[in-house]
Amino acid sequence: MTLESVPPIFWNWIWPALQFFLQAAAILGCTALAVGFLVSAFRYGPVAGGDITYRMMRTGVRDMIALSPRRILALAWLAVQESLRRRVLVGFGMFLLILLFAGWFLDSKTNDPATLYLSFVLTATTYLVLLMALFLSAFSLPADIKNHTIYTIVTKPVRPGEIVLGRILGFSAIGTVLLAAMGLLSYVFVVRVLNHTHEVELASLKTTSGDTGATRAGRTTAAQNHRHQVTIDADGKGSTDIVQGHFHLVDPQTDGEKTTYVLGPPQDLLTARVPQYGTLRFKDRLGQGIERGISVGNEWKYRSFVEGGTLAAAIWTFHDITPERYPDHVPIEMTIRVFRSYKGDIEKGILGSLVLKNPRNGRSSRMETFRAKEFTIDSRDIPRKLADEKGKPIDLFDDLVADGELEVWLQCIDSSQYFGVAPADFYLRASDASFGVNFIKSYLGIWVQMLLVTSFGVMFSTFLSGAVAMMATLAAVVLGFFTKFVFDVAQGAVEGGGPIESLIRLVNQRNVTVQMEPGLTRDAVQGADAVFMFFMKSVTSLLPDFRQFSNVDYVAHGFDIPPDTLGVQMFSGLGYVVAVFAIGYYFLRTREMAR
Amino acid sequence: MNQRQRFIRKIVYACAIAALLLPLSWLSQPETTAGSEGGLLARMRKEHHLSQAALGEIDPASETIKLVTLGMRGVAANILWEKANHYRKVEDWSSLSATYEQIARLQPNFVTVWVFQSWNLSYNISVEFDDYHDRYYWVIKGIDFLKEGTTYNTEEPRLLSEIGWILSQKIGRADEHVQFRRLFREDDDFNGSRPLAQRDNWLVGREWQLQAQRLVDEKGITVRGKTPLLFYSQSPMCLINYSEALEEEGTFGEVAKSAWRKAADAWNQYSNRDLPTQYNFSVRLSEKEIYEKRSREAQDELTRLAPAGLREEMVSERLAALTPQERDAYDTPDAQRTSEQRGLVPVLDGKMKIEHVQFADRIKGENHAAALKAAEEATQCDFIARAIDNQREIVNYDYWLLRCQLEPNDDTLAARKLIYDADKAFVAANIRAPELYVEGFKNWRKVLDAHPALIKDSNFTDELADSVEHYRNALHQIDETLPKPFILQDVLDADEAYHGALGRKPRFETSQPGPGEADPTDPGPPGAVKQP
Repeated sequence: MTLESVPPIFWNWIWPALQFFLQAAAILGCTALAVGFLVSAFRYGPVAGGDITYRMMRTGVRDMIALSPRRILALAWLAVQESLRRRVLVGFGMFLLILLFAGWFLDSKTNDPATLYLSFVLTATTYLVLLMALFLSAFSLPADIKNHTIYTIVTKPVRPGEIVLGRILGFSAIGTVLLAAMGLLSYVFVVRVLNHTHEVELASLKTTSGDTGATRAGRTTAAQNHRHQVTIDADGKGSTDIVQGHFHLVDPQTDGEKTTYVLGPPQDLLTARVPQYGTLRFKDRLGQGIERGISVGNEWKYRSFVEGGTLAAAIWTFHDITPERYPDHVPIEMTIRVFRSYKGDIEKGILGSLVLKNPRNGRSSRMETFRAKEFTIDSRDIPRKLADEKGKPIDLFDDLVADGELEVWLQCIDSSQYFGVAPADFYLRASDASFGVNFIKSYLGIWVQMLLVTSFGVMFSTFLSGAVAMMATLAAVVLGFFTKFVFDVAQGAVEGGGPIESLIRLVNQRNVTVQMEPGLTRDAVQGADAVFMFFMKSVTSLLPDFRQFSNVDYVAHGFDIPPDTLGVQMFSGLGYVVAVFAIGYYFLRTREMAR
Repeated sequence: MNQRQRFIRKIVYACAIAALLLPLSWLSQPETTAGSEGGLLARMRKEHHLSQAALGEIDPASETIKLVTLGMRGVAANILWEKANHYRKVEDWSSLSATYEQIARLQPNFVTVWVFQSWNLSYNISVEFDDYHDRYYWVIKGIDFLKEGTTYNTEEPRLLSEIGWILSQKIGRADEHVQFRRLFREDDDFNGSRPLAQRDNWLVGREWQLQAQRLVDEKGITVRGKTPLLFYSQSPMCLINYSEALEEEGTFGEVAKSAWRKAADAWNQYSNRDLPTQYNFSVRLSEKEIYEKRSREAQDELTRLAPAGLREEMVSERLAALTPQERDAYDTPDAQRTSEQRGLVPVLDGKMKIEHVQFADRIKGENHAAALKAAEEATQCDFIARAIDNQREIVNYDYWLLRCQLEPNDDTLAARKLIYDADKAFVAANIRAPELYVEGFKNWRKVLDAHPALIKDSNFTDELADSVEHYRNALHQIDETLPKPFILQDVLDADEAYHGALGRKPRFETSQPGPGEADPTDPGPPGAVKQP
């Protein structure tokens, strides 16, 4: 799995985030008050305008304090009933339909089925739930207002805030139930689709004798577009190689004279690794410290490379390495990219070395060599008892770990060949979490997104008609999914200019690198674009980045979703919901029927 | 607007819709019953083989995807291509492959998608992997992708030909071709029940090329994106490459002889196939000599009909018409011409060339008509011979014809076997290596004497000069040098003429320079780059 940025630590994130939230709320609140005052002053004169603004603020605070959970729950229940009346279960039916025919649309010959199927179910669920939330939330209030059924509520002692919050909670509740059902179905679907076994092809088994007795090697039958190489020990037990990210254990079964080998279910296919990442630094070919390794000309700058046959090295420093965390051994996993500057021996992988070092006194373990495997996770165990560079026995924790810190040096041995690495490419596999729990955690991310869409939909529906509210919510969601791109366009970081200039280029079929001809047209277009871009920047700064709530990559690639990441998602989602609720409340207050 | 007006408006709308339905029905009525030909669009679809059923298999998944995009198929395809580019950039190969599948489902009858993306899988993505097993997996994935494309486009020879190309050229010519060919033989999943002896990528590739040819020959479908000259050359070339691969892997004797004979037969069949040219007529590659002969006969007739000394007279007239500078350039031998004079050569050639028709025109009297006829015949034959020659050059026809003729010969096979054994002995530091090389070179001498044209081909001299280089290094190990005169000195001279004296570098490094050879510790002339 690639991690372009380091996941935030919740406690480091929460206080700056809270400060930012309060500052933004204060600025927006003051701006809203100022605008409200100006509008009122324009309509009723400055004194009356000031009075209206003051009363609005006072009642707002009072409404917030006096929110009644009982009334909110009653309104939420109404929203649930309304959702059921509006055939919300059709969405669930669609999901069932998608799962039934998923096999038609997915690459059945993929070399990584777990990633593909997990990504598919999580993405399909996200889109369906968000669509459902969008339609439910955007049309409800406008329909009530249009049909005058809203008066059956507002004529009762209900506060506008309770109407808004009740609808958000009601629609979210129905969404949560649907999401839970979809999650359960998705889990069953993925487990069922990925579960398979093979048979050992007895004719392919060839015996070789070694120190531990005769071992037999052969291959399995093909299933789900792959087959494995199998090795069976003298005692009849064995395992397969790793193909498509999993392996099988082999169990012998004797029936009289005849022995058959039964392969177990796929291992390591649906996992939730809990990685412990380190910090990465580099040494150049002369052994001098540098920030990044060499670029080999890849467009994607995620990895940088260390040169083989020199002093160049990639060094990870791990913290909090204790015997309590790793009592038997330290399991490491790495994914290394190889760049060959000459062909070399095709039959063999590029040779690399791993050395463990004490960051304080420089004492190191004996070099362990390996052949690099690309695009696959290479798992190894570091035993507690090791040998130093002179062959003397050393203890991992006593001799190499200092204050819980341990350095791992990775070097490429083959001259003029290169290893490419990124910080997340090497980690300690601290433990394995439950895949089921991880799956649920990924649904929490979707749940936050659903909550946000519902909140935005209800908020927009307090002052817009149903169709327009839906379009506005949709725009917010789309912008939220493409926040980075829109922000880059707004900042001029994307070639081709602003929106109007891009449109002109599209119509004229002009390349993005061709400059517009100087003149009045260019100045006018770029001037108008500057205004557009300012608004784009402002809007994207305020809208939530929906992708930050997605945990698909973690689950699909078999990594545990860090609790910190989940915490950040929940709290930032909550922040947006509070802000959107407040805006919705004030807009509803401005409506005649809600006064 | 009152209720009556609203009612009238609705009636008008209904009438307009009904009126529009009539031409719509005429245009797009489907072919529902056996007797009915359907609307205009249905008839045009049938005529141009554009109906889904005529193109290939109707896949419910593909049709569903097309439907759910609600007419936004182009936009969806564009987004998917962008996604594919992104996945390729971030090296997410599984997602990339899945996206290719989706694009193909969205545009199943857009042949370029299948060709382009399969090429990406087999050629561009495969090389991203370091392990050749992974590379092979992606090469086959590209081929499987194309095979899937053939089910949607059953009448598209280009797809079949591309499968044949990747199977033969990618597996047989890649840097890892030794490993790829081995993996291909062992690949039960791809080959299924195909017998082991036929599990050769060149032979399997040829099967696909023949399928493509059959489609063109039997159904008259046009090959798009490839000239017929190249399209039809691929099947015999597969057999030639198969024969070469056999020898490269150490299979000689009757097996190799039979393989070369089959290749020769296939090349002959190709030579006798009518191939369209850019001049709007078809030619056969084998007929160049026939046209040259006919041209010669016509020219002889022309000379016979012309009065004595006519050609010399015409040459004198043309010389007299040259400017002083042109005359000066004409009289100067080629090696002594200045750059300005060399620039005049094309002009001179044009002015001095006497066309057959011009020559015939000067023949007066009763022979005039016969002379014109002979001149036209000669001109036409020359033109066709040149057209054939152009085609031949594109496919290196003469070289492959010669190879097909001489390779099944016992001398050639023996020469190749001896050099193969000598190379193996040399790598294994066997002292028999020089002796085997000498025997091999003797056989090659016989072959060269029988086919002197071979030496004109740089591919051949390259290959033989490599063997001589190995021999030189084998001799060096026993402190001997290349014997003088060397039996294949003409090959070395030809090789030097092609590459220059410094063009060839020793393949096997030696620790000490041989007598008369340069000292490797010598830094060489100033500015020269020292080899590592």
